[in-house]
Amino acid sequence: MSDLLIIGAGLSGLMAAYTAVKAGMRVNVAAKGLGSLHWCAGTIDVLGYTAEQPNVPVKRPLEQISALVETHPQHPYALLTNEHLAQTLATFVALSKDIGVPYGGANNPGDNLLLPSPAGAARPAYLAPKGQLAGDLSRTEPMLIVGFEGLRDFYPELIAENLTKQGYSARAAFLPKKLATNRRDFTNVQLAQGMDSKEQRALLGPALKKLVRPGERIGLPAILGIKAHATILAELERETGAPIFEIPTLPPSVPGVRLYTALRSYLQGLGVHLTAGMEVLTAKTVAPNGVPGTVQWVESATSARPLKLLADKYLLATGGILGGGFNSEMNGRVWETIFDLPLTVPQERADWFQASFLSPQGHPVFSGGVSVNKAFQPAAENGQPLYANLWAAGKLLAHSDAIQERSTEGIAIATGVAAAQALSS
Amino acid sequence: MYTKSWHSVGPTLDECIKCNICTSYCPVSAVTDLFPGPKYEGPQAQRFREIGQPLSPDHSVDYCSGCRVCNEVCPTGVKIAEINARARAQIMAEEGIPLRNRLLGRNETLGKVGSIAPALANFGLHNSFSRLMAEKVMGIAREAPLPHWSTEGTFGDWFKKTQAVRLKSDKKVVYYHGCATMYYEPFIGKAAVAVFEHNGYEVLVPPQNCCGLPLLSNGEFDAAAGYHQNNINKLLVYAQAGLAIVGTSTSCTLTLKEEAPELLDMHSEHANTLTMATWDIFEWLRERHNQGELKTDFREINMVLPYHAPCQYRAHRVGKPAQDILALIPGIDLRESQARCCGIAGTYGYKKEKYQIAMDVGAELFDFVADQGEDVEMTACDSETCRWQLEHGTNLPSRHPIEFLAAAYGLYDLEKRDLVQGA
Repeated sequence: MSDLLIIGAGLSGLMAAYTAVKAGMRVNVAAKGLGSLHWCAGTIDVLGYTAEQPNVPVKRPLEQISALVETHPQHPYALLTNEHLAQTLATFVALSKDIGVPYGGANNPGDNLLLPSPAGAARPAYLAPKGQLAGDLSRTEPMLIVGFEGLRDFYPELIAENLTKQGYSARAAFLPKKLATNRRDFTNVQLAQGMDSKEQRALLGPALKKLVRPGERIGLPAILGIKAHATILAELERETGAPIFEIPTLPPSVPGVRLYTALRSYLQGLGVHLTAGMEVLTAKTVAPNGVPGTVQWVESATSARPLKLLADKYLLATGGILGGGFNSEMNGRVWETIFDLPLTVPQERADWFQASFLSPQGHPVFSGGVSVNKAFQPAAENGQPLYANLWAAGKLLAHSDAIQERSTEGIAIATGVAAAQALSS
Repeated sequence: MYTKSWHSVGPTLDECIKCNICTSYCPVSAVTDLFPGPKYEGPQAQRFREIGQPLSPDHSVDYCSGCRVCNEVCPTGVKIAEINARARAQIMAEEGIPLRNRLLGRNETLGKVGSIAPALANFGLHNSFSRLMAEKVMGIAREAPLPHWSTEGTFGDWFKKTQAVRLKSDKKVVYYHGCATMYYEPFIGKAAVAVFEHNGYEVLVPPQNCCGLPLLSNGEFDAAAGYHQNNINKLLVYAQAGLAIVGTSTSCTLTLKEEAPELLDMHSEHANTLTMATWDIFEWLRERHNQGELKTDFREINMVLPYHAPCQYRAHRVGKPAQDILALIPGIDLRESQARCCGIAGTYGYKKEKYQIAMDVGAELFDFVADQGEDVEMTACDSETCRWQLEHGTNLPSRHPIEFLAAAYGLYDLEKRDLVQGA
């Protein structure tokens, strides 16, 4: 029995857990697997593009959001005032320092950063881990992009060439694989874990020092340690005399793993019980007097009989299609997996997509989800909550195409924090 | 209507989105190049193991320890460890099973034979010459923490001998002891019986067999199916009568519930009845506590206690009930390990070519125990082979959580590992 059960351990679930435990609640988190932070670049994208100008990165996202919610009054950002949104992001920045994975923003406060992607594209992000900040393309130092021979999915020549085409000064170089690892086969996370060892990284600084020219900054794949990341960054900058930045790689993403690991262990220290491998399948609800009903308990899959998970309040942070918050069938049916909440997703398969694959308007299926009222409770059209003790946050929420907008993490933090504030007040 | 989310094993590979979280968290591929990782061995290689494919694509799947950390972290529910276990069995079926694996799979037979003359058997096995020979001839690592046969009689002997003083009650529970409690560690069973009876339950110990897990993890599926069928035959009547079948060995209870039916495709109604009646002991005790039925007349136990929830336990997906119950005992400063695996994984770490891998995997856990300070006198873990590995890796005694609970009731001596006389 707990005061609050959060279902899902992505960024919105973890930020909600932090907010609720700080408000004095006893919090449990149940997650099917490890959260979606493992898939993300580790940056906090608040608003990168708008449907009106799909090819122009947003320069000042918070100001742009004020305009966005005028035209999209149902957008998840419209559930918060602009000041409240800024506050939730400030909460995250302060927390990131406390857990030892500090985040920061552009030199000019309020601007988006523009960071090189592993394909050499310029990617708008509002906040980034300290280790990515020197990659901001508003800075003028020329870039030396360094990869390792044999490392898959990170091609410095591709990155440098694409950056150059966009008018940024960049060149590429390779280092032998043995400077990163002695393993025959490896993932980026294993490389990063290996870098935590001083012996493994001993030769990296001197090798980079040889490559770098005066005035350059150095971009490396995001493998610079897990636990020792801050130390490694400082070490390399000292040894090379150049600013160092990481470029996030394909999943699983090391910056995402760092954030997840640090947040999880910090939350556990605050008394939050987080269990992975616990898939919530169904809920027991009653509604003797119609809407709103009550959630009595939810049930998770075990090796035998289902396990009842009891709490006073429940927060659904199960994500969208990718996170598993809803599922679909070939015929077009889309459903929310635990409570079968009403979804705004079109229930005809033909209506899921625009005719054009890369349509700047995005595909309707991706902006569908659960509608909530101002208190973050899944609600009927008149705003009446469907269940008195159920709240929702994150990618599950309807009315935004977060991938198109580059707003996934911003929405996760804003709605995770605000939903937990609403339910604990 | 409740429907299970488990499909049969094979189709779950279609759920794989290739995110590689499993490989990033796999404790085995973290320490050796011999195992490329769960994604490659599981969903990826499985596409080449379809019917009619002449040979398995990669023998390195034998380096999967079966710890199931991959299943635990997978965001989309792929049954990676089970895919690997089936692949190993397919290789064994194609190429024959080594004598060593046949022996290690037959825990029950080894237990029985050794128990005829346990002192002799212990002497015969546990001397440096025999261990050297076992390594040279059979490939069983000479340093590996093999168990000792009980020299005070088996658990069955004790239970029979004490029938006259055993509690009779309307409330009954079936105890599934498993091979380790029967032949090597009868005191675990004594502690469990003491806890059951203290809470007013009469304990029934019907005839039962090995759960078959050692056979499953050594790739001998046909023999394992025989064991599981025997257990269904012997225990079904109790399950049908509505009695809980409760075990102290967490890997045995997992096998009875899920691993055997799933890996062997034994999804009969009878098998399902056994699944639904089977409980791990702390899962069952926590349910009693939730119902307000668990006695909490605990004595203080003052100690710092590092606790490792073994991977087989986490694979039950019931949370951490042993931790929930131990937290009720006053004085215990429980320190929860975040280590993925102790390394031993049943009989995996006994094998010569895998011993060092198992020790390297376990280092995470051994370091955690060392970090808890000088005052630590013992550790706790629910699984027998994990406790033996923990003792091997830390030089500290390790106990089953049920021993602490029995001790907190004043019924059990943690040092002597025996019931308190007259309690």
